[in-house]
Amino acid sequence: MNDAEEDLPSAPPEPGEVGLVEPHDFVCPQPFRFESGQTLPGFTLRYETYGHLNAAHDNAVLICHALSGDHHCAGIHALTDPKPGWWNNFIGPGKAVDTNHFFVVCANVLGGCQGSSGPSSPNPHTGRPFGLAFPFVTIRDMVRAHKLLCDHLGVSSLYAVVGGSMGGMQVLQWGIEYPTFVRRMIPLATTARESAQAIAFNEVGRQAIMQDPEWHHGDYPKGGGPRVGLAIARMMAHITYLSDESMDLKFGRRKTAGVATPPGAATPSSRKPSAADAGSTTPASGTSAAYTFDVQFEVESYLRHQAESFINRFDANSYLYITRALDHFDLTAAHGSLEQAFAGVEAATLSVAFTSDWLFPSAQNREIVLALLRAGKRASYAELSTNLGHDSFLLESEELYSLVRGFLTR
Amino acid sequence: MSKLVEKRTVDMQIIGDWVEPASRVLDLGCGRGVLLDYLQQTKQARGLGVDLDFQKILGCVRRGVTAYQGDMEAFMRAFPDRFFDRVICSRTVQELADPAAVILEALRVGRALTVGFVNHGFWKNRADALFRGRKPRNPVYTTEWFESRPANPVTIDDFERFCAAKGIGISRRALLRGDWHTPCTFRPNLFSGYALYDLAR
Repeated sequence: MNDAEEDLPSAPPEPGEVGLVEPHDFVCPQPFRFESGQTLPGFTLRYETYGHLNAAHDNAVLICHALSGDHHCAGIHALTDPKPGWWNNFIGPGKAVDTNHFFVVCANVLGGCQGSSGPSSPNPHTGRPFGLAFPFVTIRDMVRAHKLLCDHLGVSSLYAVVGGSMGGMQVLQWGIEYPTFVRRMIPLATTARESAQAIAFNEVGRQAIMQDPEWHHGDYPKGGGPRVGLAIARMMAHITYLSDESMDLKFGRRKTAGVATPPGAATPSSRKPSAADAGSTTPASGTSAAYTFDVQFEVESYLRHQAESFINRFDANSYLYITRALDHFDLTAAHGSLEQAFAGVEAATLSVAFTSDWLFPSAQNREIVLALLRAGKRASYAELSTNLGHDSFLLESEELYSLVRGFLTR
Repeated sequence: MSKLVEKRTVDMQIIGDWVEPASRVLDLGCGRGVLLDYLQQTKQARGLGVDLDFQKILGCVRRGVTAYQGDMEAFMRAFPDRFFDRVICSRTVQELADPAAVILEALRVGRALTVGFVNHGFWKNRADALFRGRKPRNPVYTTEWFESRPANPVTIDDFERFCAAKGIGISRRALLRGDWHTPCTFRPNLFSGYALYDLAR
């Protein structure tokens, strides 16, 4: 492929689909030293790639996933899959990250539980899961491990690194750690310094897990463990990804089917319960269902469903490790100041924040860009008006697509 | 329309002449980044734009112009003194609620400040008000009053009085006639259609 053929078209073609994809495992046989000083004799990263690496090996776009994400960001594993990868709307032929032009790489983070080495991986010394014997993981460890994967794939430099939330932290860390390797950074809905509020939410989640009697200090069999604690952690965290407005629009005060309206909020035709209603099957008997702690509101049912699906795919210890990695992320403390942190950055940056994101508010995203600019770097900042909260970065938005496409074309 | 595009180019050429090669330029109210793109192409300027509107930032990013979406005053407060070689405020002052605050802050973060504006003291604009009794409308300000642009019209006399009152030095000025091309030397507040100033503290 020569340079002329690599020119990007001005009008994007009709978007297509990545289609069937399969995960791969990169097994690194070399010892890996974590920031904590702990080591592993080697590690595994599960990853997927879409598109083709060009002859110059410089068209790779690395996608960094968030806390509960994984390597499967686009396409499907089987025709029967109910849902495609988590960022399928964003990645594919003709999409914002165009797989006709870019070689897209996404890997599960170190410390994760979707195929990469983490606390649920078998400890070669015991044959049982590592549990808390797994080394502490930082965002920088995740990035350093992924660099080894990029080297393994023969990538000579990254055309761009893209990610939201915890993925955005990795993006910034990439630009700092490997300045000559990273040409563009797209951090979305993120922060350079985990706030007290975000740490507080993480701590509540961890306490829910660690107070579950099934946790056993992290020593539980695969598939077992603190399912209740993990479910509660997920329910609570999920609220922080939404917004008051979006929850009101999506659920309002709607009831799940079969739950009667309690009296007081009743329509004029209904009446006060009387002794005659007791034990009867008249509508008033539904009133008793309203005075239980079973699911009544749609929002409760939604959170329980989210929790249920999460505990079937996520490991509680990984949740502890990764939330701790988020807590420890503080580029200001690590480098003295944010300007110093970014002093060596060579990449151009496009930062995008979302007005309704209260977990990583726009001010924290602005601070990243202002520090990059003060450090003399090229950094653009845009803000999208959405009502969907922190999860906005994942949602379908033509404005976001155009912006990212425009930035990647330059 | 083509006349308007031509006028825009004249404005850009003068600003381009004033910009030192490879300097760090901040454009307040950068729009879609046309001016910065021009300065990057012709002067190898290191440009940065600020605008409130997402679509403008999108236009800049597509052009390869670095841009920041947000309030220009809050943006400038985040920078140390004399961080930029030049700040440009081209056809922006007439939209500002507190132009003095913006101009003084721009003179703090910039070594020089270029301000360009349509002179509302130009005789045609006065005639609009005098004979038609209506808000001036011309090829630049095409809108009715209820569409509300400009918000805070300025004349050459207004601007020079402001500079004198604040002790702001005018190092260069380009006052152009109604064609926005020929220099205007006689009673510019009445006969100049467009004014460009280069300021320093």
